[in-house]
Amino acid sequence: MSLAAEAFVTQIAAAEPWPGNAALYQPLKEEQILLSDNAACLAVQAFLQMCSLPVQLVHRANAEYMSPSGKVPFIHVGNQVVSELGPIVQFVKAKGHSLSDGLDEVQKAEMKAYMELVNNKLLTAELYLQWCDDATVQEITHPRYGSPYPWPLNHILAYQKQWEVRRKMKAIGWGCKSFDQVLEDVDQCCQALSQRLGTQLYFFNKKPTELDALVFGHLFTILTTQLISDELSEKVKSYSNLISFCRRIEQHYFEGRAKDATFRLSLIS
Amino acid sequence: MGTVHARSLEPLPVSGPDFGALGEEAELIEVEPEAKQEILENKNVVVQHVHFDGLERTKDDIIMYEICDVFKAKNLIDVMRKSHEAREKLLRLGIFRQVEVLIDTCQGDDALPNGLDVTFEVMELRRLTGSYNTMVGNNEGSMVLGLKLPNIFGRAEKVTFQFSYGTKETSYGLSFFKPQPGHFERNVSLNLYKVTGQFPWSSLRETDRGISTEINFPILKTNHALKWEGVWRELGCLARTASFSVREESGHSLKSSVSHAMVVDSRKSSILPRQGALLKINQELAGYTGGNVSFLKEDFEVQLNRPFLWDSVFSASLWGGMLVPIGDKPSSIADRFYLGGPTSVRGFNMYSIGPQSEGDYLGGEAYWAGGLHLYTPLPFRPGHGGFGDLFRTHFFLNAGNLCNLNYGEGPKAHLRKLAECIRWSYGAGIVLRLGNIARLELNYCIPMGVQSGDRICDGIQFGAGIRFL
Repeated sequence: MSLAAEAFVTQIAAAEPWPGNAALYQPLKEEQILLSDNAACLAVQAFLQMCSLPVQLVHRANAEYMSPSGKVPFIHVGNQVVSELGPIVQFVKAKGHSLSDGLDEVQKAEMKAYMELVNNKLLTAELYLQWCDDATVQEITHPRYGSPYPWPLNHILAYQKQWEVRRKMKAIGWGCKSFDQVLEDVDQCCQALSQRLGTQLYFFNKKPTELDALVFGHLFTILTTQLISDELSEKVKSYSNLISFCRRIEQHYFEGRAKDATFRLSLIS
Repeated sequence: MGTVHARSLEPLPVSGPDFGALGEEAELIEVEPEAKQEILENKNVVVQHVHFDGLERTKDDIIMYEICDVFKAKNLIDVMRKSHEAREKLLRLGIFRQVEVLIDTCQGDDALPNGLDVTFEVMELRRLTGSYNTMVGNNEGSMVLGLKLPNIFGRAEKVTFQFSYGTKETSYGLSFFKPQPGHFERNVSLNLYKVTGQFPWSSLRETDRGISTEINFPILKTNHALKWEGVWRELGCLARTASFSVREESGHSLKSSVSHAMVVDSRKSSILPRQGALLKINQELAGYTGGNVSFLKEDFEVQLNRPFLWDSVFSASLWGGMLVPIGDKPSSIADRFYLGGPTSVRGFNMYSIGPQSEGDYLGGEAYWAGGLHLYTPLPFRPGHGGFGDLFRTHFFLNAGNLCNLNYGEGPKAHLRKLAECIRWSYGAGIVLRLGNIARLELNYCIPMGVQSGDRICDGIQFGAGIRFL
């Protein structure tokens, strides 16, 4: 009953137009957000920009816990709360906005496959770097993740999260990988993306899709985030067409909003 | 002089330490001298020895404090009375399963002609006692496992552990209790716990993991408790449909607070008192000892009881409280006050008064509630002198208000706000006393002064609880 009711409510809500007070919630930009969360937030921002749907950015220290799925970012539209890129794409589609409608079935399947690739390789590599690489964990992840909380809660929560992520890593077989193996995976993923992109403007010709938003979110974050070592960003930098792809999306969709100072838009080249 | 048994002065309490469970009717049985003992009453005696049989791990010094008065007895009746009091005190320690007193003439070389020996035959509680039960309720089944180590170090210290494993939540509590030898009311306790609560009226789930230390001590006729508590609180939504205001409160917080509670209670029974008064004042200061929650919270409870015509009792009570957030962070949904329900302002649903968002009640920073009751025995008094005495009929008039205060408006504006839109209700019902700790009520209520957003229960309302307005 509740599932059916929920689906019904979602449908009713979907029929309403996009409201002016829609908000996108993400963790604190300066002191809290981590690499993987930043990538996810940026991907959703890029996607909504591409759909020309206005949202107000709201930074909350407890964004992760406010989210119904426990993952950032999430959007609050009307009285609906939807988290993560996949469900947000579905939700937006139900409201009549879609970037992938022009694609045929084969292209759609291809797009989904590449999105899975990015989630499986790039996202997992980011999680590996921030929760399994001991130097990064000590110097960046723990201080940032625990920053909104007083002692001893900052350590407790960071260790709790670390334990949870490491357990997931073990379950998918990344637990015993070395950092070099992870870099190798990232390189392969970038190579595949670079080959698919070739000399096109976007992955599917002239119009961006949610795949472009997702790839932009991850690559842009990897390129612009200061980490202990720049091995990860070096891997991405060896693919010049991916760099110019990021720059293109940044200029096209974020330049106008640069004045709100949420982005440091200088790509390191 | 023969052997006098002081054994059956009153029925033995079954569980030993429940010294607070004497009902209003069960007053202490005074040892009344019988006709043939009157001769002995004036005869001077000396208590020469006090023996203990059955002591194993209990230390001598703690026993000494409890029985030293027996040596001060001057005549036989005195010896019996003092021995009886000593027995009461020993049972109150909660370390003996059974205490029997035997008074005999003194034997041996140094025996005086009027010398008496008092022997306490005690049976200590086992080192480890356990309990196991299952509970079903709130769409949840759970298994509760309890372990108790009474008298663990031989001076009435107690360690208790309770673990509840449910289909939805697990919780546990570990506590250590130590009284001061000779002053059982002065005690220290240390607690470690995890509890999970679901609050459907707010669509809120709260998990608390905490540690607390508490010192209890009496001053004159008042009881005081000083407490420090550090709690890691995790708030979350009970359902996806929770309002956004509740969602915004989700996440972790750490509260470290110092609190003081004072209780003056002259009532003989706390559930259906005939006379006496109660005053409870509680204050809590959070934030100065760490954590990221800062507030000052004050609340009080007053209750007055007067016997009235034909065994009826007139009772009046007043509650009030205020929460002042310190700093620029607003107060948390977990700290605010809630009002309404069959245990406070009757005729309204549980905690369903005051500020709300999309049907989820958010609580308020200030509240007051008052109640007037007239308790009478059941009409025609069925079961008088027995089962029927557990019941009362009552007529009540409740009123109260709960609101948020915008600090900066001044105290007069606050008072005006609390006096606006008062919720009140009246009605009648039946009260059932359960032991001396809880009561059940079945009432017919007529709510008045209902504001938009309040959820009411017009008509029959059933309530169970331990604290009643």
